[in-house]
Amino acid sequence: MSALLEVSELSKTYTVRNHWFQRKAIVALKPVSFTLEAKKTLAIVGEMGSGKSTLAKLLVGAEKPTDGKIKLNGQGLAAGNFKQRCQHVRMIFQDSSTTLNPSLTIGQLLDEPLKLNTELNELERSQLISATLLKVGLLAEHMNFYPHMFSGGQKQRIALARAIILSPQIVILDEALASLDPSLRSQMINLLLDLQQQMGLAFVLISHDLGIVRHFSDNVLVLCKGQIVESGDTNTVLKNPKHKYTRKLIMNQQLQVAGKL
Amino acid sequence: MNLFDIRNLSIELVGKNENTLAVDRVSLSMKEGEVRGLVGESGSGKSLLAQAIIGVLDDKWKVSADRFHWRGKELLHLPLEERKAIITKDVAMIFQEPMSCLDPTTTIGEQLEEAIDNSLLTGNFWQRRKQRKEAAIKLLHKVGIKQHTKCNKSYPHQLTEAMCQRVMIAMALARQPILLIADEPTASMESTNQGQIFRLLASLNQLKNMSILLISHDLESITHWTNTITVMYSGQFVEAGTTSQIFTQPYHPYTKALLDSSLKANSQVPAKSRLMALPGSIPILQHLPIGCRLGPRCPRAQQACVSAPKVKNYHGHQVSCHFNLKDSYR
Repeated sequence: MSALLEVSELSKTYTVRNHWFQRKAIVALKPVSFTLEAKKTLAIVGEMGSGKSTLAKLLVGAEKPTDGKIKLNGQGLAAGNFKQRCQHVRMIFQDSSTTLNPSLTIGQLLDEPLKLNTELNELERSQLISATLLKVGLLAEHMNFYPHMFSGGQKQRIALARAIILSPQIVILDEALASLDPSLRSQMINLLLDLQQQMGLAFVLISHDLGIVRHFSDNVLVLCKGQIVESGDTNTVLKNPKHKYTRKLIMNQQLQVAGKL
Repeated sequence: MNLFDIRNLSIELVGKNENTLAVDRVSLSMKEGEVRGLVGESGSGKSLLAQAIIGVLDDKWKVSADRFHWRGKELLHLPLEERKAIITKDVAMIFQEPMSCLDPTTTIGEQLEEAIDNSLLTGNFWQRRKQRKEAAIKLLHKVGIKQHTKCNKSYPHQLTEAMCQRVMIAMALARQPILLIADEPTASMESTNQGQIFRLLASLNQLKNMSILLISHDLESITHWTNTITVMYSGQFVEAGTTSQIFTQPYHPYTKALLDSSLKANSQVPAKSRLMALPGSIPILQHLPIGCRLGPRCPRAQQACVSAPKVKNYHGHQVSCHFNLKDSYR
């Protein structure tokens, strides 16, 4: 079976003006390659500045890669072709309250991607919106509400609804679970797992919480300074870390609970 | 002796027609040299409680309590000036998001020197300038920043978040407080930095016998660092006890749900299985349920839960629930 997403030798370098005419290149991401299959979850872990958010931006098309190719279902994704990419790759951000436009109702918010990417008429669109809201555990009446009327957990659900409304194949979660309260976080994880089964979604999970990574993902990539230091099956990597950096990450998190028990 | 002892503290938001009870009869006491964790999800009133302790709530809030003792003195009855004098001398607070709490327009050095009170300097007025500088450098050394000249010259945005938090702790230490209130000191920080900050706080607690009230929304992340934990939900007291009591035998259904839903604590759950989660979401202040506020979400709720439960005490393990889980551990 061919992979859903195939990334080969993807890299990103930023150039900043250093001095008058000199330019300095900062390597944010050294060439990385990996594959992702449908219904699977790939976790990307690493510290701040390890290039995990850069990788997410490249995948979703917010940044142009310096080099390398991204293939979806064997088809190359061109850097500027948003029409193609928007439908298949969607993203959820860390702080959902700032990504929702406060002056639009939820219905209008969810209507936008449909207007831009599909040829549905108004009735079909509103039907699809209410169906999607039900899918993420909200009510159809919530269409007429404004974002400030919702709590943090519900806003994250709306962000999820916006991501899945075009029935994408890949959803990228950029620290999407980090800022949620613990009881809402487990609800959200359950919801994401259900949707993965129902819709056959593939997730790219970016997180620094290894507990979530262990529970949620099938494969894991460990990034350090823009380089993959370790990758493979989540269980084997976390149980039997090979690289010093991975061990350090795991140590830091285990210390907090294991010390007490 | 108890450092402070608060009984049935209520904080009300004064409204036009009626007052909203944001914190509903919460008790909290701390011994000297203790590290107490205060855990609650967003909207549980834990930050309000901390602000009530240091007395920075404005006229919009009404604070009342049966007892509000600070080292044996009733604070609420004292005149404002005296109360301020006690609090500024003995209590310090650090906040979450240190970057936004520091003044972005002045250097770290100037801000640190500002925090050092005149009463701490001994010399004549011409010696003070130098003494102040030295004191600031000493404070930086205390929190583990060795490059003091570089740090003093830089602005907050030039430092990393963990560095800024260290500077905040240094400022808090300037008057050698007895109690440090840390309001989510490591929110939105990487795990390596979190460890650094917690280790620093723990060493301050052990070396200087400083009490710390550690506020967090995440039960699992602070268990390693605390002696005792108080759990709050939606402005109500839930459970209090030693860390091991709370962690191994939670009596309240809410604490149990928190522990069950945590992924670090029980890593033996199979991957991708459904997690235990309470249904529903945290109630907002405008629509609080009557009685026990967990009622609508609680798996053990019964008719009696429409009246607020009384706090029961089992050997120092306090729980506020009609149908607590104590009997299920036999």
